[in-house]
Amino acid sequence: MNNQMTEALILLLAGFLVVFCVLILLIIVVTIYSRIIFSVQNSAKKKKEVLKEEVSSDDPTPASTQTAYIPRTDDDEIPGEIIAVIAAAVDSIYGEKPHKLRAVKKSRSSRSAWARAGLAENTRPF
Amino acid sequence: MEILNQLWQIIYHLFNESGLTKLSWENYVMIGISFVLMYLAIKKQFEPLLLLPIAFGMCLVNLFPGIMGLPATEMLTKAEMLSKNLDPASYPTTVVDGVTYYNHTEYGGLFYYLYQGVKLGIYPPLIFLGIGCMTDFGPLIANPKSFILGAAAQVGIFLTFITATAIGIFQPAEAGSIAIIGGADGPTAIFVTTKLAPHLLGPIAVAAYSYMALVPIIQPPIMRLLTTKKERSVVMGQLRPVSKLERILFPIIVVVIVALLLPDAAPLVGMLMLGNLFKESGVVERINKTAQNELMNIITIFLGVTVGATATGKVFLTIQTAGIIGLGLFAFCLATACGVMFGKLMYLFTKGKVNPLIGSAGVSAVPMAARISQKVGQQENPGNFLLMHAMGPNVAGVIGSAVAAGVLLSVVTPM
Repeated sequence: MNNQMTEALILLLAGFLVVFCVLILLIIVVTIYSRIIFSVQNSAKKKKEVLKEEVSSDDPTPASTQTAYIPRTDDDEIPGEIIAVIAAAVDSIYGEKPHKLRAVKKSRSSRSAWARAGLAENTRPF
Repeated sequence: MEILNQLWQIIYHLFNESGLTKLSWENYVMIGISFVLMYLAIKKQFEPLLLLPIAFGMCLVNLFPGIMGLPATEMLTKAEMLSKNLDPASYPTTVVDGVTYYNHTEYGGLFYYLYQGVKLGIYPPLIFLGIGCMTDFGPLIANPKSFILGAAAQVGIFLTFITATAIGIFQPAEAGSIAIIGGADGPTAIFVTTKLAPHLLGPIAVAAYSYMALVPIIQPPIMRLLTTKKERSVVMGQLRPVSKLERILFPIIVVVIVALLLPDAAPLVGMLMLGNLFKESGVVERINKTAQNELMNIITIFLGVTVGATATGKVFLTIQTAGIIGLGLFAFCLATACGVMFGKLMYLFTKGKVNPLIGSAGVSAVPMAARISQKVGQQENPGNFLLMHAMGPNVAGVIGSAVAAGVLLSVVTPM
């Protein structure tokens, strides 16, 4: 009995140690490779942006017309205030990066019936 | 008169061969239990996909034990063969002491053959393949710290192991099989039990799946008891988007690390990650759909009915089974509590950025445990959406319980 308990105690400690070590190792590896991928993809994006900027600098359009950009809307009934609010909301999320609101479209069946049913299934209260 | 006598003989023979004379009271009790489980599955919808086949398998084996009967070969003399209307020419022979015997094989019951998939440890990894195809590891990749909560919930397994050993009625292999119930992962519990203590498979599988079905009842009181209103109200920040490359690399990296360090966990983790790679790669859509639908459904039927069929009256109605049911509940509660306590630690270390409720999702039970975190969190703050944050620890729990299973399999000596 004593032997069994000693073995059980050893297993308890070994179990804690191994499970935590393996999962901590996974945390480290996942964090590292995520950062590597993020930085690689980010640098690729930056290169594209630089390329775009270079192309746009060759564009003869005056700068003033570029900054006074008005987003395209599906119909003319969306009031300017609403567009301003949408633009502010977009800015609150993507504010840190250079961005431009090109169009405002009404959402028409953005999710299929199956996708909506799936969403409802996953978030419905018990 | 002769005709009436023969008719009576046939009816008497049929009655003698029927279950009415052959079944014991234990069989009838088990049939009653199976009816209760069927009620829970159909009316209450507690994990019906598993509980219903388990309950029906349990009912069937107690009505007709021969359905799990082992194949047997008996050696008959020529006279015995002829008396049974069997043609001796079509049977292989064995000569013993100059007497020729004919080997007459009686095949096993249907469930005996289906059960080989459980006994040989084939079904649980295939179930994991399907789970892998259905699992989104995105929340875990976006927040890898969730792995800690998945590990924390496994503490319950090892604490139950030592408790079961200390009680004294279970051998270490049996204690390990009982403790894995705390992982709240049916296939893992079956996989470990078939390797360590196969004679306990019936009670352990029934206990594991029953507690998984009862997650909405068992977990919330523990979660409320261990957390304050302030902690439960924490709104967590949005998770970062995860790129496709990260999603594809994740299963490959995890399987390499886990299989190298814990080869015993390789069948489970390997199949889980293979399924996930099918899903994330996007190039084998047909296989992905088959694995998560048809294959998964077929295996679920076979696994469910045969696991239920191991719960015969004589095996199930024992003090040992009562101990397994009690210790299984203990393991499950402990795993939930450990997850929540680690969630509280993360709450402290992150200065209130982590809601401790997501810790309880560290027990596997995907996605039910994550839903419970969402539900309890929304009871405090209706605008709080914890579901995706809880999915991280939830899927980490699947990997964690497979790793814990690997530890038990590599350290504990099977019976």
